[in-house]
Amino acid sequence: MTAAALSHKFKDLNIDISLVESDHIGTVGVGEATLPHIRFFNQALGIDEATFMKSTEATFKLGIEFCDWGRKGDHYIHPFGDYGVPIDELDFHQFWLKLRKAGGTHRLSDYSYPILAAEQGRFRIPEGDLNEIGSNFGYAYQFDAGLYAKFLRTFSEANGVRRVEGRAVEVGIDGESGNISSIKLEDGHVIEADLFVDCSGFRGLLIEQELKTGYDDWSHWLPCNRAVAVPCESRGELRPYTRATARTAGWQWRIPLQHRTGNGHVYWNEFISDDEATHQLMSTLDGPALAEPKQLFFKTGRRKKFWNRNVVSIGLSAGFLEPLESTSIHLIQEGITTLIELFPRDGVNPLDINEYNARMGLNFERVRDFLLLHYVATQRDDSEMWRYFQAMELPDSLQEKLSAWNARGYVLQYEFGVFLPPSWVAVMHGQNLIPEGHDPRVDRYSIADIEARLEQIRLDTVREVETTPTQVDFLRRHGAASGSPLVSAGKM
Amino acid sequence: MTTRSKTIIICGGGLAGSLATLSLSLSLGSEYHIVQVGGINARHEDHLYGGATDPGSYNFLLRLGLDEPTLMLRSATSFSFGTHFRQWLDGRSWMQCHHAPLPTPSGIPLRHYLTRENAGLEPLLISAQAALAGKFAHPPADPRSVLASAEYGYQFDADEWVALLDRKIGETSARRINAEIRSIIHESATRSVVNLDTGEPLEADLVVDASGLSRYPIEAAGGTFRTSRSIGFSLSKTPSDALGPPCRTIDADETGWKATTHLQNARHTLRVSEAGMASDEAAAHTAALGHLVEAWVGNCVAIGHAASVFEPLTPAPMMMLQRDIERLLELIPTHADPGIERREFNRRFRNDVEHVAIFHGALITIDSAPETEYWRAAREQTASGKLDRKLAQFSNRGLLTSFDLEPFNEEDWTIAHWGMGRRPHQHNRQVDGVSDTQSQSELGQIRNSVQQLVTKMPPHHLYVGKLKQYLEKQNYA
Repeated sequence: MTAAALSHKFKDLNIDISLVESDHIGTVGVGEATLPHIRFFNQALGIDEATFMKSTEATFKLGIEFCDWGRKGDHYIHPFGDYGVPIDELDFHQFWLKLRKAGGTHRLSDYSYPILAAEQGRFRIPEGDLNEIGSNFGYAYQFDAGLYAKFLRTFSEANGVRRVEGRAVEVGIDGESGNISSIKLEDGHVIEADLFVDCSGFRGLLIEQELKTGYDDWSHWLPCNRAVAVPCESRGELRPYTRATARTAGWQWRIPLQHRTGNGHVYWNEFISDDEATHQLMSTLDGPALAEPKQLFFKTGRRKKFWNRNVVSIGLSAGFLEPLESTSIHLIQEGITTLIELFPRDGVNPLDINEYNARMGLNFERVRDFLLLHYVATQRDDSEMWRYFQAMELPDSLQEKLSAWNARGYVLQYEFGVFLPPSWVAVMHGQNLIPEGHDPRVDRYSIADIEARLEQIRLDTVREVETTPTQVDFLRRHGAASGSPLVSAGKM
Repeated sequence: MTTRSKTIIICGGGLAGSLATLSLSLSLGSEYHIVQVGGINARHEDHLYGGATDPGSYNFLLRLGLDEPTLMLRSATSFSFGTHFRQWLDGRSWMQCHHAPLPTPSGIPLRHYLTRENAGLEPLLISAQAALAGKFAHPPADPRSVLASAEYGYQFDADEWVALLDRKIGETSARRINAEIRSIIHESATRSVVNLDTGEPLEADLVVDASGLSRYPIEAAGGTFRTSRSIGFSLSKTPSDALGPPCRTIDADETGWKATTHLQNARHTLRVSEAGMASDEAAAHTAALGHLVEAWVGNCVAIGHAASVFEPLTPAPMMMLQRDIERLLELIPTHADPGIERREFNRRFRNDVEHVAIFHGALITIDSAPETEYWRAAREQTASGKLDRKLAQFSNRGLLTSFDLEPFNEEDWTIAHWGMGRRPHQHNRQVDGVSDTQSQSELGQIRNSVQQLVTKMPPHHLYVGKLKQYLEKQNYA
């Protein structure tokens, strides 16, 4: 992604970009689900959506379904969009809260176009007034990360990126500045550069192994430290959402693509063995596994400096937050966007480094709080892991958010951070945190008035969903991969 | 506060008190008794709101039933494209205009092109050029029009707006008491007794301190105002049949500055100088600049000048007042213990205060300001880590560092930096991918479009005159 973006943005400049990678070093293969922001990344690169969909076996994504998080047996969808529409500039959910207390029976989800569409396997691209029902939602993709990498590699090379196959075995340091001056590959080839972007994954080849930058360990907040991942054959309907199912010592993902389904089990090895975690995963697949399960080890947290000297770490080398809300690729994207804005002109400027590190630090922290919310906004205490979270002392920022929500359905306001108030509403409400009160301004409306307004919004939402094609139909017209078995078999 | 009727008492009869009273009355249901106790604040303090608003005031006032036709027909309100710093520090002059997001040719912010071309920003800003030419027209909805980029607020007479608001309050169920407050006893975090000079005691679940500089209610609740500097100020009103430009003008001198607002029937000149200057008529009134450490203490919430006082160099005082009220409306307590609401209100208040302070600091941070008592004191107030970061990043490469929910947006900051003569040392590298010819051509096109449009726009006074004729024909009066 970094090579593609830099080569596109700076294609008319005298900047030589080399992409050093080795086919012998595998990719992690997690993070195949994304957030709506990925569309802007592709658009900025001028990538045609249908071509991208075909090339990466992608499906559309309207949100994430969370199963068993609040209580066992629960499920809810965190949609990419608002619930209902504001009424006289007041948040829709405040009216719903009041109506619910008065006996209202409809789910909050019943007023969400992306949720209803997702539940029925429907999809279309939002058009028209983005404040109107049926258009006030976003969408993302679920794709094969390996194919996306190949797609972007081709894109990069077409933009002049020099791809070098090889594994770095030695790093040269400038004695005067302490900057990295070169990397030497196994075959003796030496590559010199002014700036290095470390996308080497967890090990942090340059940022950590060479520069000893250090790592802020967030394991006490997000203690899951292992994952096992495996693809399987697709079965059943192709739903436009990712699923995250809570387990006794972690959670399991399911990402439906056109040609297969990605699966993984993220867990805390303190409370479950690797074998048991693998067994849980393999016994709950939709279809036959397509590969041997792959084991991953990680420590949640972030690099103390994302940009250190003349090395910028992007992706897993910058930090790791479990992909519960599909933030892995988003954080890569944020890193790339920020790097482009701060791209050095005449050597690395400490001001640029400071700004980059401040911005990325804020991004990571706000994602961390949102991920932690899923573990602590729960009634589950049926295993050691859930009891650990029940007893956890939360970061002040998160505690305050929970208190404000529980008291009156209010979401503390911040401008920056990827997850906006509707996302917080979705998770807190979805995990059974029903506020005690509501915004008093809603009380100037009678129950009958609220009931009528909400019913109209609900019916409008249902009508919009009914006119939406199924994802399969939409994909057939817009991005079905030619060899996609489900498409050709007409099962989708 | 959900089961029985609640009483909210607003202490203050000025602009803050009336805006808060009307806002609360219209926003809350019948289970809330809204009581406004007037008479506690001196009307001259409203002059510190500066007689100018930002574009956000349009919707804010509309929600209160004060639409533009009402403002134009029933007061001397005029339009404002911003503030013209006509004679600012070290001879600087620029139009600090309100503007929609600036163009981003090839996806690159305009300022980077300007840096490379060493070009001026102001000729590209329709609201700046129109204001400087004394022209005005409403921005159309069609985004293809150059004028669609213009945004506007109002120039106004605070006394007139209070009168308009008071009429509106009269149409609500709010009770208004013209009395002085003798004492306030905050009995608990949820109950206060306001004793009036009429002998009437009023019980309140929530007290809103809109008392201006007196701050009696909030100080009685334990509020602490932090200040290290005072200013003197006075307002003179000069009748005028000729409506001036759609902007305020500000001129600085060694002892302070003066702002002129151009209303339909008068020119108002606000003079600001160091407090306590001997034999200076400008120092007719004094005000301590600063802010409360916490604007919500116990069950008392301070708004407007009771909460923070900024020099009205920009529309910031009105922006703060609107934000104070909006924050309050969002956080009307729902429980016996309003701790959650109080903490959130204070968090956002502190952020707003800090962000206004750094924007004003950016207008004063300059080595060549006069070495006089006023400007020395003004400069001493500007120290801020956030401002340092903003200035350093802009100077380095034209980067606009932003913080959560700043009142002033990227356009405000870009225009202020340019106006203050700050130029980035380098431009973004992406600009290098666009040829000089292309960027000069694009900048030239914008410049020409702006110039051509301004020549066609009507003078402010003619536009307002025609608008009023039209409105009267439509029976708005």
